[in-house]
Amino acid sequence: MTESTRENAELLVEMKGIRKSFPGVQASDDVALVLRKGEVLALLGENGAGKSTLMNILAGLYRPDSGEIRIRGKLARIASPRDASALGVGMVHQNFMLVDSMTVAENVVLGIPKLPFVPNAARIRREILELSERYNLKVEPEAFVWQLSVGEQQRVEILKLLYRKAEILILDEPTAVLTPQESKELNAVVKLMQAEGKSAVFITHKMDEVMSFSDRVMVLRKGKVVAEKLTRDTDPRDLARLMVGREILFCIDKRPFEPKGLVLELSGVEALNERGLPALRGVDLRLRSGEILGIAGVAGNGQRELAETITGLRPTTAGAISINCVDSTNASPMSVIRRGVGHVPQDRVAVGVVGDMSVSDNLAMKAYRSAPLASGGVLRPKRFLELAKRMIEAFKIATPSPSTRTKFLSGGNIQKTILAREIEACSSLLIAVYPSRGLDIGATEAVRKELVAQRDAGLGVLLVSEDLEELAQVADTIAVMFEGRIMAVMPACDAEAERLGLLMSGAIPAEV
Amino acid sequence: MKKTLFAVMIVLLALAVALPVAAQKAAPFKVAFIYIGPPGDLGWTYEHDRARKAVAADLGDKVKLDFIENVPEGPDAERIIRQYAQDGYNMIFATSFGYMDPMFNVAKEFPKVYFEHCSGYKTAPNMATYFGWIEEPRYLSGIIAGKMSKANKIGYVAAFPIPEVVRGINWFTLGVRSVNPKATVNVVWTNTWYDPVKEREAAVALLDSGVDIIAQHQDTTEPQKAAKERGKLSIGYDSDMGKIVGDTVLTSPVWNWSVYYKQTIQAAMAGTWKSHGYWEGMKAGVVQLGTISPKVPKDVAGLVDAASKKILAGTLNVFAGPIKDQSGAVKVPAGTTISVDDRAGMDWFVEGVVGKVK
Amino acid sequence: MRLHFEKRKSLSIGALFLVPAISFLASLLLTGLLLVAFGADPMATYAAMLKGAFGSGRAFTETLVKAVPLMLTGLGVGLAFKLRFWNIGAEGQLVVAGVAASWVALFWNSWMPPFLLLPAALLVGCMAGALWAGIPALLKTSLKVDETLVTLMLNYVAILFAESLYYGPWRDPKGFGFPGSAPFPDSVLLPHIAGRAHIGLYFAIALALILWFLINRTRWGFELKIIGSSHKAARYQGISVERKILAAILLSGALCGLAGATEVTGISHRLQQGLSVGYGYTAIIVAWMSQLNPLAVVPVSILMAGLLVGGDQVQMKMGLPAAMSLVMQGMILFPMLAGSLFTEFRIRRAGKAAKDAQTMAPGGAA
Repeated sequence: MTESTRENAELLVEMKGIRKSFPGVQASDDVALVLRKGEVLALLGENGAGKSTLMNILAGLYRPDSGEIRIRGKLARIASPRDASALGVGMVHQNFMLVDSMTVAENVVLGIPKLPFVPNAARIRREILELSERYNLKVEPEAFVWQLSVGEQQRVEILKLLYRKAEILILDEPTAVLTPQESKELNAVVKLMQAEGKSAVFITHKMDEVMSFSDRVMVLRKGKVVAEKLTRDTDPRDLARLMVGREILFCIDKRPFEPKGLVLELSGVEALNERGLPALRGVDLRLRSGEILGIAGVAGNGQRELAETITGLRPTTAGAISINCVDSTNASPMSVIRRGVGHVPQDRVAVGVVGDMSVSDNLAMKAYRSAPLASGGVLRPKRFLELAKRMIEAFKIATPSPSTRTKFLSGGNIQKTILAREIEACSSLLIAVYPSRGLDIGATEAVRKELVAQRDAGLGVLLVSEDLEELAQVADTIAVMFEGRIMAVMPACDAEAERLGLLMSGAIPAEV
Repeated sequence: MKKTLFAVMIVLLALAVALPVAAQKAAPFKVAFIYIGPPGDLGWTYEHDRARKAVAADLGDKVKLDFIENVPEGPDAERIIRQYAQDGYNMIFATSFGYMDPMFNVAKEFPKVYFEHCSGYKTAPNMATYFGWIEEPRYLSGIIAGKMSKANKIGYVAAFPIPEVVRGINWFTLGVRSVNPKATVNVVWTNTWYDPVKEREAAVALLDSGVDIIAQHQDTTEPQKAAKERGKLSIGYDSDMGKIVGDTVLTSPVWNWSVYYKQTIQAAMAGTWKSHGYWEGMKAGVVQLGTISPKVPKDVAGLVDAASKKILAGTLNVFAGPIKDQSGAVKVPAGTTISVDDRAGMDWFVEGVVGKVK
Repeated sequence: MRLHFEKRKSLSIGALFLVPAISFLASLLLTGLLLVAFGADPMATYAAMLKGAFGSGRAFTETLVKAVPLMLTGLGVGLAFKLRFWNIGAEGQLVVAGVAASWVALFWNSWMPPFLLLPAALLVGCMAGALWAGIPALLKTSLKVDETLVTLMLNYVAILFAESLYYGPWRDPKGFGFPGSAPFPDSVLLPHIAGRAHIGLYFAIALALILWFLINRTRWGFELKIIGSSHKAARYQGISVERKILAAILLSGALCGLAGATEVTGISHRLQQGLSVGYGYTAIIVAWMSQLNPLAVVPVSILMAGLLVGGDQVQMKMGLPAAMSLVMQGMILFPMLAGSLFTEFRIRRAGKAAKDAQTMAPGGAA
């Protein structure tokens, strides 16, 4: 065997000259990518850099406009996920593609070609248990998917791929939904698979993950490859610069903390979640103007319900809420808005914006009720456009035009659209739920700066976040939430990461 | 682009306001028939169409006889009638009650076209009404049903509670009770002229309630088929249904429209046509009793034959009193005859009918 | 050359017109094949249909007669669909309104000045239609009862209710016992424009313009659009979703109701059989073909009405069975639904799309 044939045998995936466009965006622009056997490749880039698009092409979800793909040296025609699966390529998407009402085992075997009409359930169960043992992916095959936590659901997705004997695994921002502990476990799983000779492509925009997970890193920007390096030859600062194309501001200028009057007060507030179970249990909070109150906690511990209860979207079952010292317990959403409350909701796409309406309409969704956008109930389209142009510029929203339908914007730009609108409309209290979740560094920075600017301008800001770094950087006061309770409230300068982590996981009892 | 929209709207508006009225043109003698159902119903429409074909065969190429089927009663019919009038048809026959008002409206606009409406009451100088006393053969068929019913319960599947149908039920019942005073006639309304499924369902419901003969006033043979499948007897209507369904159909009161159609079309062609109300019975031949099934015993057939002869001879008047209503009150005293107007607007049942005129 | 689909970023009004037009042509082609199979000449058939629907003043007035109720119900149904409220009860709302207008026409003339009778009949008709639509709307907004089933079932209730009246207490005492109410007094009859076409046509066109303005140029319409996209998003924007839905559905019912009121006062001039001939169902097709655009409802209704009126010719001139014109009406739907794909997407050559995209401002990836 010659040197060159060995080289070729090791090359699992070769993508060459890949181009793919969406309306107004060249998502992949002449991209080349190689993946070797037993290698973990990190795809790094800001939101909208074209990472997911490229991998969706490899996984058979999108067809490239041009370019070729070779798998194990052979020209491959990947027209569907099934084709990809047959070639040993599998992908775990950002939004899991599991059927809630089916069991883990059923989801794992779902869609396997040539599955017998009556599958051998016992054998499938045994095989799943073997796999989960081998890769330390703990799941219960009989459990229904809706009963599982997000982390567990991700394990099912990975099991699905392993069950199909995938050799090339694509993980699209796998840690975005995980707790730090779960991320570590995932890292271990990836390492185990790597040891068995499997390869992985890892999409992310987090530096520390690139450093800890990958062997090699490719940086994408606006659909193009801007750098390709061995991980050991680079460092986070270098990567960040490549990714954004400029130096990153890691700390934000902030005026000294000078709180003024009380903006929001919750005492003993309780509320239920969709399933009728307690989501908030006796929450006491105080927020003053000129203050950023950070709510720390692992997602799903009542943060969303907290924001919804304050904004009138969810009924309060006990306790009292006052905004600007006026009782607002169970006030209607409209009256809360009238009190000058802005709300950046957790679910941006389904709640925060109306995807089918234009960016300009979405930007006007608070201001449309009164002059200058409306007079006597009649809208003034010109004023809509003026407002939109001003806000698009002020908040640097990247959109082909104000009349583009909002669903065609990237996640970061959708978030900027919401933020722009809510900040414009709010005069006393801004509630932001995971405002930088899933955003790239540039967008995250913009969002954080904006929150601080609003605080400096005298607003009270309630910031729900799971990113401790963000809280440390932005918040004046930090409250920790766990299972619907406030575990502790402390000045941000006193907060230590370790103690927060313990409070967030309920490992130490509540301090308030 | 919005301008285009507005332009389209304005053009439409202009068209709506300034409508050119097309000139009428002369044409050879053309006749149109408007049918409520399809000629294949083997009932009401079938009989009209059979007559249409017979007239066409008789008069050859001097006339052109066209038809349109499945025309709903109401405003849509007006459009169709107008369309024919406008297309140069010389004579139009509308063969269902609900076409009366539409035809009346169109007749006013086309004074040179002859309009003929079946089973209604409105006339105009150029619009005639025509119908027949099907009650006579109905009465005769009632005699057979009365004699043949063992359960003394006879079912009657009826379309709409309108005078035409009410009369049919009444004189059938009078025929039944003339030979079997214990028997009752049980009515179920279908509220449709032509709906094979509904007609069958109504017959089945009656059979389930214990009747052993099914009579009907519908446009299809479905009630007869339902009775046959249950091993029960029936009385047909419109056409000679025994020929289609079999000998479980004891007999059928039938129409013979060709008698009337030929004479009125010829009158129109000759220019002697005058507006009229044509109401004739067995004597004129426009109605008659169909074939009597071999299942009917000789003596019963003889009874019917005798009554039939008396009607033709004018010695039996089925419209003569005494006639009692459902409560037993005498509505037509002995020695008098129910007037044509009272028959035309009849909205009550005679004694022996079980059911309500809604 | 490779073709691929691209989702449109904004709907062009050109596509709004072009696509239904092209799908209409496609359906003519399909039906043409069927006609050939039946041994009929498609071109002659279409010519006859065209002439029958638009070929003369009389024909065109008849088309307009049918188009008016289609426009009004099409507007009503389209408004409800915009909110994703599946109102398939236009037929019932039309019938109930016809009954209500008849009630005014028959029984109010004893005390009401004649010049008020017609406006009152139309108004009461609208209110009845609104009320009939209000029942499912209230059930939906307060108890989350599925509106599809309720609106459909209420159609039968309405039709039977109307029947029970003109066969029962409202039966014309001078009508020899025949079904149907007494004819209305002259003061309640809708003035005619030409032939049987009545001024309901002006109402319909004016309402199309008004509705377009309401939806696209007012706060109310803006909120309806948000609600139609997502209830959650609307609630988050402080919009009282239930109240707005209720109000819009009342309006939807009122529009369908006006169709019924103009039918009895403009066409039949009495309450009788034939008020319900499926306008409420055809309205669903009209609404979709118009892509829920009120302005498009007007030409689309005229087109559909032309198809129905011209369809008579298939029988009268071509001697084809009546079922054929029904098949033709059905045939039009398929290309139309396929056509809606092209208003949402456009086909482009692969290379061109890529080049275009490069010249555009960089946005985010989809």
